[in-house]
Order: sequence, then structure tokens, then C-alpha cells
Amino acid sequence: MSPFEELAVGARGTEARRASEWLEAACLRRNVPRAQVERLSLCLHEALANIIAHGGGAARAAPVRLLLEVRFDSGGGSATVTVSDAGAAFDPVSVPERTPPKTLGEAASGGLGLAMIRRCADWLGYRHESGCNHFTFGARWSLP
Amino acid sequence: MSISYRDVGDNLRHIVVKARLDLPGTDSVASKLVELSAAPKKGVVVDLLSVSFLASIGIRALLTSAKAVQERGGRMVLLVDGSSSVLMSLKATGVNELIPVFQDAAAAEKAALA
Repeated sequence: MSPFEELAVGARGTEARRASEWLEAACLRRNVPRAQVERLSLCLHEALANIIAHGGGAARAAPVRLLLEVRFDSGGGSATVTVSDAGAAFDPVSVPERTPPKTLGEAASGGLGLAMIRRCADWLGYRHESGCNHFTFGARWSLP
Repeated sequence: MSISYRDVGDNLRHIVVKARLDLPGTDSVASKLVELSAAPKKGVVVDLLSVSFLASIGIRALLTSAKAVQERGGRMVLLVDGSSSVLMSLKATGVNELIPVFQDAAAAEKAALA
């Protein structure tokens, strides 16, 4: 089986669900452990939610391209997801980490998605190239 | 996707959410969750045992409800399956430190009334 799988989706809520379901199935076909699949699926959903909310008309006008790459070595494996969109340039990696609220009253509704991505991914990457954002995140695991 | 509730005595409401709380799933239940948690009950348990996926939009809906309950002097708690990714989402955002989380229904109901 190829280590790669691709999908193009629209920048819409229903498509975010389709993307998560695609990623879960593609990872499980490649024997990515369930815990890592769940983390990657959340990251993908939040990345797409950010594009939908902040990417603007350009993001909605062109497909969002998803690329999954799964690799194994003697010690374990890794799965990397790249999300490419034509929306407004935005580097999620450079956004300062928010201070967690201490009380319910302090809790803001913004920034939760990025916080979730940071906690769930083992690494993040970003580049802006040929007019597109390319946001990468991944998870690794060790063989038992 | 569904959301239902049962009142336990005069002071407690147990709300059961059965949905994938992603963008479309949360859209379908968020307003009902706010409406049900606005009832004049001292305690509210939001049962997420049948929720398989909790995205940030779903967490925002939970925060909105929990704040509304707190503002009227009540307490909202969450009931989750500890082996699901729902608990991971709550921990990743730190929301488990703001809204009490339980894995046992009796303990959740007791805490909501404390």
C-alpha cells in the first residue's frame, strides 16, 4: 500500500466531517494506532475549521487539499497530514500560546482549536508557497 | 444526532447528548443545549457518554452553557467515557479544569448538586 493518500474537500462544515472520516479510514488501513488516529482527526478538523472561519473567500473558492503520509521504521511509525488552502496567509505555528484561563468566567471562546492542535500533534510545520498555506502536523508511535 | 433530558427531582437536570460534536453536529444541538441548561435547576449534568468526537466548536457550546448555569448560581458538570477521545479534547483545551468532569453518573449528579 502506498504511504500516501490524498483528498480534496470544500471549505465547509460538512466537508470537515468528510475529511475527518476519510483520515480515520486511511490511517486505519495503514495500521496507524487508534490513539494517534483520534489525535490527527481532531487536528485536521480544527485546521479546517480555522480555514472556514478565517480563510476568506479565496479559501472557500478553491478546494482544500489534504495529504496523508504514513511511514514505518524499526522502532515505530509516523503519520503526517498536510492541509493546503488558498485562503489568507496564516501561520498557526507562529501564534503565541494562550494562557489557560483559571476560572470559567475567564474562559474565552477563541483559540481553543489551536490549543487543541498544539496538544494533540507531536509536531507542527507551516510554509506559504505559490499563494497557498501548507500546514503540516503529525503523530508518531513506538512499536510495542 | 439527538439531545434529550430528564429531570431528577426539583433541582437536577440530566441532559444526554448523542452526536458527533464537530462543525455540523454542534450546529444541530448547540441551541437546544443552551435552552435545556437554562432551566432553573441547581445542578446540570451534561452526559457525553455517547459523543464520539468533541471539536472546539462543541467545547465552546459547553462553555456557554456552563457559564449560564454558573451565572444563575448553579453548577454544570460533564459525564464522559474515560476511554473516548472526548476526554482528550477536554484536557487538550484545559476545559476539564473549568467544568468538572466525571466518569460515573452517580458521582456526576452528586457533584452537580454540591
